[in-house]
Amino acid sequence: MNVRTLIKYWRTVLVVTEMTLRMNFMEPFVIFTVLIQPIVIALLGLWMLQGRGAEGAIFVVVGSGLTGLWSSLLFISGNSINIERWIGTLEFLVGLPTPFEVIVFGKNLANVLQSLGAMILGYLIAALFFGYSLTIEQPLLFALSVLFTVLGFVSFGLVIAPIFVMNPGVQGWQNAMEFPVYVLCGFLFPVALLPGWTTPISYLLPPYWAAVALHGTSTGGATFGQTLLAWGMLVLFSMVDLLIASRLFTLMLYKARADATLGLE
Amino acid sequence: MRRILNGFRLFWQGAILAYVALFHWLRPIQYAASKIVMPLAQMFFFVYLGTFATGADNASFYIIGNALQIAAVSGIYGVTMSIGGERDAGTLPYLFGTPANRMLIFLGRAFMNVMDGAVGVVIAFMWGVLLMGLDLSNTNMAALALTVFITTFSTCGLGLLLGSLALVTVNVMFINNLVYFLLLIFSGANIPMQNLPGWIQAISSALPLTRGIATARLLVGGASLSEVGPLLWGELGIGVMYSLLGYVLFTVFEIEAKRRGTLELV
Repeated sequence: MNVRTLIKYWRTVLVVTEMTLRMNFMEPFVIFTVLIQPIVIALLGLWMLQGRGAEGAIFVVVGSGLTGLWSSLLFISGNSINIERWIGTLEFLVGLPTPFEVIVFGKNLANVLQSLGAMILGYLIAALFFGYSLTIEQPLLFALSVLFTVLGFVSFGLVIAPIFVMNPGVQGWQNAMEFPVYVLCGFLFPVALLPGWTTPISYLLPPYWAAVALHGTSTGGATFGQTLLAWGMLVLFSMVDLLIASRLFTLMLYKARADATLGLE
Repeated sequence: MRRILNGFRLFWQGAILAYVALFHWLRPIQYAASKIVMPLAQMFFFVYLGTFATGADNASFYIIGNALQIAAVSGIYGVTMSIGGERDAGTLPYLFGTPANRMLIFLGRAFMNVMDGAVGVVIAFMWGVLLMGLDLSNTNMAALALTVFITTFSTCGLGLLLGSLALVTVNVMFINNLVYFLLLIFSGANIPMQNLPGWIQAISSALPLTRGIATARLLVGGASLSEVGPLLWGELGIGVMYSLLGYVLFTVFEIEAKRRGTLELV
């Protein structure tokens, strides 16, 4: 898949995003993963980091929102293809003239967008329940960072989804993949606290660069150069992920057709 | 005597089969992911967050709290799925059609999860010692083992209560996830109880894990079994209370479902 394909099928992407958002609003698991779990983590973080005042609060708000983004990506976007299989609509989607990855892109976009709601809720809780006066130090750069984050996460989700379909064994590790990314990507504490050998691993994870950009622009702790680097890495990872996803979707669909397993577990 | 032996056989076979059925679809490596890797990652997250917030000297506070909180994985998810799985598998009518003692069936579901949960907590403590520098040199290990067992039992009691709800709702996983994550706040695993609002402290006192975590922290600090006795008795009482409440609900739901003919319906 490439950007040209996405532009050509932009209407499909928007319709799929809207339909996915509507369906997800009624799904308890999605509501928990996207809203409740990040709020609980935000509450934990706000109580634990009370001593750091408003700067710590905005750090927690952004960080807890990122945990919601990753959990949504892992459990919801990761199962975006399997869900269609379970409800019996995968064959119809694959049979459409619209490239299947465009549809999955729209689903992932919906999942990521709804996860941003957790960040807004966390902000409200910190402001209303804890009484913090929160300000985003670089609002324009923060808004741009959010856009790059959305791009990075959606693209990453396009890689995860076909991998989970083709390798149920990997999907069995979903529960074990949630907290390691929280730790390695510096969502709620700096990765400098971790052993040095983990740093290269952090650099290879798109959520890490999203955290760098969002934390840096919200607290004002990053220079413009550091923010640009984070954006650049998110764009680079997005391009790579879209390329990999394209190959994975081709392989997945070929394998499903060759093995006649499109509608089977 | 024969009745006692039959009851024991019913309890034991039910416990074994429920546990095997729970994991029959898991490969060993996936079991390891859920029981070893996930708890370790969760511990690392909250220990690093806690030490970032309050300093490295307080690491043991978070290690102990999160190690014991791991009991909730088996206690809540394991027990609930052992009971709720009957409905998903379509075996609920057969279960309720038997004359078997409901108390033995009910408690048998929790027994193996108590053992499994205790093993999970021991593994978590092992990670704490090996990787995070937890010092157990002043700890009465027998008392700590007893604390782990009782805390796991009390958490399974909560799981039995939630498992009863699985008979009447399809959203039990939502409830499980909510309770599991709220326990991270209410149990005092990551926040000293005195730092929480009064209403949260009041709720925490009626929940499993709270006294168990406090007991474990005192034991690691060098307290004797007699000093933590009241807390342990309280934790045990909490577990018995939730188990009995869950059993009562289980019986009520069975009667109600038979009366309405909704045994397999939402």
